[in-house]
Amino acid sequence: MLKIENLTKHFGGIKAVQNFDMQVSEQEIVGIIGPNGAGKSTILNLISGVTKTDTGHVYFENKEITRLNQYQISRMGLARTFQNIRLFKGLSCIENIKVARDCRISYNLIEALLSFPKALKTEKNMEKESLKFLKLVGLEKHNDIKPGNLPYGLQRKLEIARALFTQPKILLLDEPAAGLNTAEVIDLVRLINQIFHEFKISIVLIEHKMEVINELCDVVYVLNFGNTIAKGTYNEIQSNKDVLEAYLGGGDNA
Amino acid sequence: MNSIIVFALINMFGVLGTFLLTALTGHLSFGQASFMSIGAYVSGLLALKWGLPFPISLLGGLIAAAMSALLIGLPTLKLHKYFFALITFGFGTAVAALLNHFTNITGGAMGLSNIPCKTNFLLVVISIIITIGLIRNFVKSNYGRMCIALRNDEIASEAIGINVYKTKLLVFVLSAIITSYGGVLYGSFVTYVEPGMFGWTKSTEWVIYVFVGGVNSLTGAVVAGFILNILPELLRFVSNWRIFIYSLFILIIFNFRPEGLFGEYEISFSMFNNVYKNLFSKLNHRN
Repeated sequence: MLKIENLTKHFGGIKAVQNFDMQVSEQEIVGIIGPNGAGKSTILNLISGVTKTDTGHVYFENKEITRLNQYQISRMGLARTFQNIRLFKGLSCIENIKVARDCRISYNLIEALLSFPKALKTEKNMEKESLKFLKLVGLEKHNDIKPGNLPYGLQRKLEIARALFTQPKILLLDEPAAGLNTAEVIDLVRLINQIFHEFKISIVLIEHKMEVINELCDVVYVLNFGNTIAKGTYNEIQSNKDVLEAYLGGGDNA
Repeated sequence: MNSIIVFALINMFGVLGTFLLTALTGHLSFGQASFMSIGAYVSGLLALKWGLPFPISLLGGLIAAAMSALLIGLPTLKLHKYFFALITFGFGTAVAALLNHFTNITGGAMGLSNIPCKTNFLLVVISIIITIGLIRNFVKSNYGRMCIALRNDEIASEAIGINVYKTKLLVFVLSAIITSYGGVLYGSFVTYVEPGMFGWTKSTEWVIYVFVGGVNSLTGAVVAGFILNILPELLRFVSNWRIFIYSLFILIIFNFRPEGLFGEYEISFSMFNNVYKNLFSKLNHRN
């Protein structure tokens, strides 16, 4: 479904990502882990088109999306969240969700300006639909407040709901558990599992918290300094020598 | 007094155009007033030189403004918004210079006179009400939401599929059309235009009005636009002090209410309904 070949990105002298290959099949959860600065977020930015790659190709459902604009990639069915939450602080929670489908909407400018029945009807349907998604992440009580007033954990969930509302086929999550406490992490894992089974989509997950990776991921890629040092199931990479070295340091000087 | 109100309302089109652009995309235009002169000049020339009827010359003025907005929007809206503000500033000055230069067509600094008078008080009032209604619908529609999203965070907006560049261009063209409509009305109300009338100071005034009213509130833009437009006229009796009082008023608002007079507050029809119902029930109780 998503196929990445030979992705390379340099920022000046820093080799952020080198020769990265990855494959995500339908209905699969893939994890990407690695120490800070390993290039995990860069990979997500390259896939979703925020930054353009130096070399390499990204294919989504057998179509090349490497050079497409971010919005075009999104419209093909690839949604993402951000490591530092990027909600629209000028919109209320429910509007934050609605806006995710606004560019796919069926009424045009004239109908919007004159507030035609068709536009009003579409708006009403959207209201219903977006409430469903708010309920999914447990935010139905907060629909009218601005997201800036929500606690951190709920903001993360709202961002996930917004990404889901674009009706994606694949969802990229950039450290969804960062900054959450243990109870919230358990809750988040349950939510991601629920999304995975309910919407039947694929998920790519970047995470530092190993319990999240362990619970969710079928396949895990381990990065260090832009290189892929291991790939396999969670149990396989746990005992991988290179991985242990990257996380715990080499055994030579000990 | 009548003409003071008409001028205030015509200016309101500029304020509304500026509001649309600034509130929805966060961009500042310091050349917005030049769209008003484009509207006035093009429609005036069409009526004068070819004797076209008012609706057609009106349409011509709007199209000319939309085209020039496209012309400067296309290359600049991909850049950072500060560059956009600079370019619009340059555009405004350029339009005034061109109008001065082509004396044989535009009349140069002498201005264009004898434009057929087709506008009256009623037309201006009806137009402004319809325009406010249209803008309100636009802000409440999916376009409005997308605009506020891209004003908050362009990368996140693109990530949910919004074509940021196209949306900004659309809003800019709409704002130019609204502003130029005011220009057309101006030309055919006063029957005379000159290049100096719509300089960058006018554009800047509109930006100030929008911020005084509250950049997130259409009600604020309308109220502030109207008050600040007629305030200098009302203050005429204190002659030399009027600019001082006017500036003081603006400074006080910026200092103590940086979010503007109205913040995000909007007057809605349902609110009027509630007031009406409350009054009604109170009256009933008394009886």
